Amino acid sequence: MSNPFVPKILVLATEKCAYPGADAVGKAHQEYPSNVYILRVMSPVLFPEDFFLRSYSRGIDGILIAACGSDCPYHGAYDRLAARIDQLTSRMNAGGLEIERIRLTAICTVCIKAFLKEVAMMSDNLHRLGPVDRQLAEQLRRASVERLQASARSRELVPALQGGLR
Amino acid sequence: MSYQNDHQGQHEDEPVELECGEPGRDEEAYVRKQIELARRQADASPSAAIAAQQHQEDSPSLRIGVYICRCGGNISDVVDVERVAETVRLIPGVATAKVHTFVCSDPGQHTISDDILYENLDRVVVASCTPFLHEQTFRGAVARGGMNPYLYEHVNIREQVSWAHRHDPAGATSKAIRMISAAIGKLRHVAPLDQIKLPNHRRALVIGGGIAGLKAASDLAGRGIKVLLVEIADKLGGHLNQWGRVYPSERAAEELVADLVNAVGRNPNIEVLLSSKVKTVSGFIGNFKVAVESQSGANGATQKLNAVVGAIIMATGFRPYIPQDGEFLYRTEPTVLTLPEFVQLMRSISHDAKRLVYKEKNVRNIAFLHCVGSRQLDGVHEPSTDGRLNSYCSRTCCTTILQQALAVRTRFPQIGVFDFNQDIRTYGRGEEDYYAQASRAGVVFFRYNGEEPPRVEITPAGRAKDGALSITVKDALTWGQELTVGVDMLVLGTGMIPGQIQDLIEQMKLAIGEDGFLQEVHPKLRPVEVAVNGVLLAGTAQGPMNIQETLAAAGAAAVKAASMFATESVELNPYVAAVDLTRCTGEAQCVTQCDYEGALQIVQMEVDGEWVERAQVNAGLCAGCGACVAVCPHRAIDLNGWRIDQFDAMVDGIAADIPGRECGSELVSIH
Repeated sequence: MSNPFVPKILVLATEKCAYPGADAVGKAHQEYPSNVYILRVMSPVLFPEDFFLRSYSRGIDGILIAACGSDCPYHGAYDRLAARIDQLTSRMNAGGLEIERIRLTAICTVCIKAFLKEVAMMSDNLHRLGPVDRQLAEQLRRASVERLQASARSRELVPALQGGLR
Repeated sequence: MSYQNDHQGQHEDEPVELECGEPGRDEEAYVRKQIELARRQADASPSAAIAAQQHQEDSPSLRIGVYICRCGGNISDVVDVERVAETVRLIPGVATAKVHTFVCSDPGQHTISDDILYENLDRVVVASCTPFLHEQTFRGAVARGGMNPYLYEHVNIREQVSWAHRHDPAGATSKAIRMISAAIGKLRHVAPLDQIKLPNHRRALVIGGGIAGLKAASDLAGRGIKVLLVEIADKLGGHLNQWGRVYPSERAAEELVADLVNAVGRNPNIEVLLSSKVKTVSGFIGNFKVAVESQSGANGATQKLNAVVGAIIMATGFRPYIPQDGEFLYRTEPTVLTLPEFVQLMRSISHDAKRLVYKEKNVRNIAFLHCVGSRQLDGVHEPSTDGRLNSYCSRTCCTTILQQALAVRTRFPQIGVFDFNQDIRTYGRGEEDYYAQASRAGVVFFRYNGEEPPRVEITPAGRAKDGALSITVKDALTWGQELTVGVDMLVLGTGMIPGQIQDLIEQMKLAIGEDGFLQEVHPKLRPVEVAVNGVLLAGTAQGPMNIQETLAAAGAAAVKAASMFATESVELNPYVAAVDLTRCTGEAQCVTQCDYEGALQIVQMEVDGEWVERAQVNAGLCAGCGACVAVCPHRAIDLNGWRIDQFDAMVDGIAADIPGRECGSELVSIH
């Protein structure tokens, strides 16, 4: 491992705002590091907590949730998302996973500067923190899945549980 | 709990397999090395065999076609596309990986549909520009090859790779490989989907009753389509009502307006609402719900009207630039006019007048100053009160100034005309003639540098007498000599600024360009469409245009809208929540998260011969946000097209250092 640490940054970018915002960065010929990987999502409210923890356990060092903020096209989705990320952050904090590895932000379709700033900030944080502790993330993921499963009222009736969540 | 490892023979129960996606390596070299490794170990590793077996169970006939676009160099100048193809070809399941100069071209699309037929492909990836440009194009190509269009995945390697990592070709190439590998990972988890069909309301809303709106409305109505035309003023015609003659035909603007207004008035398909404003817009193509507030009633009382329309044409136009107080002495000196004010003045002078009299004074010399409020430079020009600087060219002022200058010289040969420009942009057909004629007619031209606009001062004598102004310019045509010209009147060549339609922009989620005007999907390929399906642009709402261009755009928008009405129903992406009845237990945790009335509810149904309560999605009402997905303890509800397992696979594709190899995720089980 003689080479310098290159963090893997995952950006979950909303289709109506942040994804076209990231496109606008490229269209304006502005550059950012190539270790930033952007996935298009309808709304990040979709993701259960264990999705994020699983990503860390697979080697993603930082996750930027680039949402629509108050421009969210779905009723109530942004508030729910913010609450869920809040909870995830406090669970990460309690479990010892650095909370700088996750960030919820709003990026609009023309927010070129905001996008570049967020990516640079995440990149700086990750260079300071170093690689994610994947074993720890995996432990937290399992705890999270177990917590979710425990929220079921009718455990014994659940056929899915036998095979476990994937 | 068991963890098996892909290819290094670690023990079971080893918490996480670290060689997969281990950070800190030189990405490109590492990818190459790992491919070799994967090749050699494919047979030797027991877990690889398990993975292969599982892969076969999931989709026995997975044959993926990957098409990588050079975009004529836009991509391939940065990304080593041949290397990307070579690399992704090694990913299990990839049957073919091809590079094409323009995958979006006819031959490019044919390659895809032919390969589906002759190479028996059952999944397709195209790595090209942003999905907003060509995702639909390639879904179409895939469908023409006989495949379900949702077994297609789009990868953006232009806006988010080659253009964003121009100075990092190795990193860009590596990122392209990973993003394609992620898409392939997703395709291992996709199932065919059917589009949702909804009724298409065969009626269009045209917002704005200037020439663009009039033209679009009459063209659409001529094709038998009902049109609701909403104009904010109490009269149709827009800015042309205050204009003189139009170039290059030199017809009177009012005749042009009258022709169009008559065409609209004659057509029973068009309903015109004057003094009216579109207040709210919601819905989607084929089914927009709009609310209009109208003061056109008998006693001027406010009326509210609701309508359902299938398409919306934005013909909201521009606002003329109004100089700031004191900008080139505007509003400080009455002899400084804007171009529209001067046009009005010329219109008001009787046809046989021998002199141009303004404010009871005989005008002997006039100066025209180009680019006022256009082509503004940071540090040279004062931003407007909202902080905006208009860096764009307004495109119509040069020819209008020359037309007016020529009119002055022709009607009043005794008046001296001086033209101060950065350069002359008479770009349209017939417009250059105005420049030539104005030159012949004795208009005197000065050229200034944009960074040093001319200085306008009022002379002490002028203040005392007749408001004479002095204009000082560093003239490039005389090799930078500083020249001063005295005139009685200064006309500021003011241009166009965006209309005030902030409410509509926000409600309709329209994109605006850097210039503040509405932005099209693609300036060349899709010039009158916006990213919101069913919304079209007509005229100067999109940016400065002359009348010819405005009418051409309005005609194009009308044809585009008419073609949208060719079908009885509109088809929408089936991105709605779906319940897996083998997992659902009817606990309704998902229902508590849904903010859409009736979209998700618990119903009685028969499953395996038993009457049980289960969650059910109403696809017509589900917005597809996915808020329900995260909370289900059985993962029994997911979002079609954007499933969690698909995202997991994409993350693996990005994190994995072996392209296409999932990081043992399928081998991780709980309990």
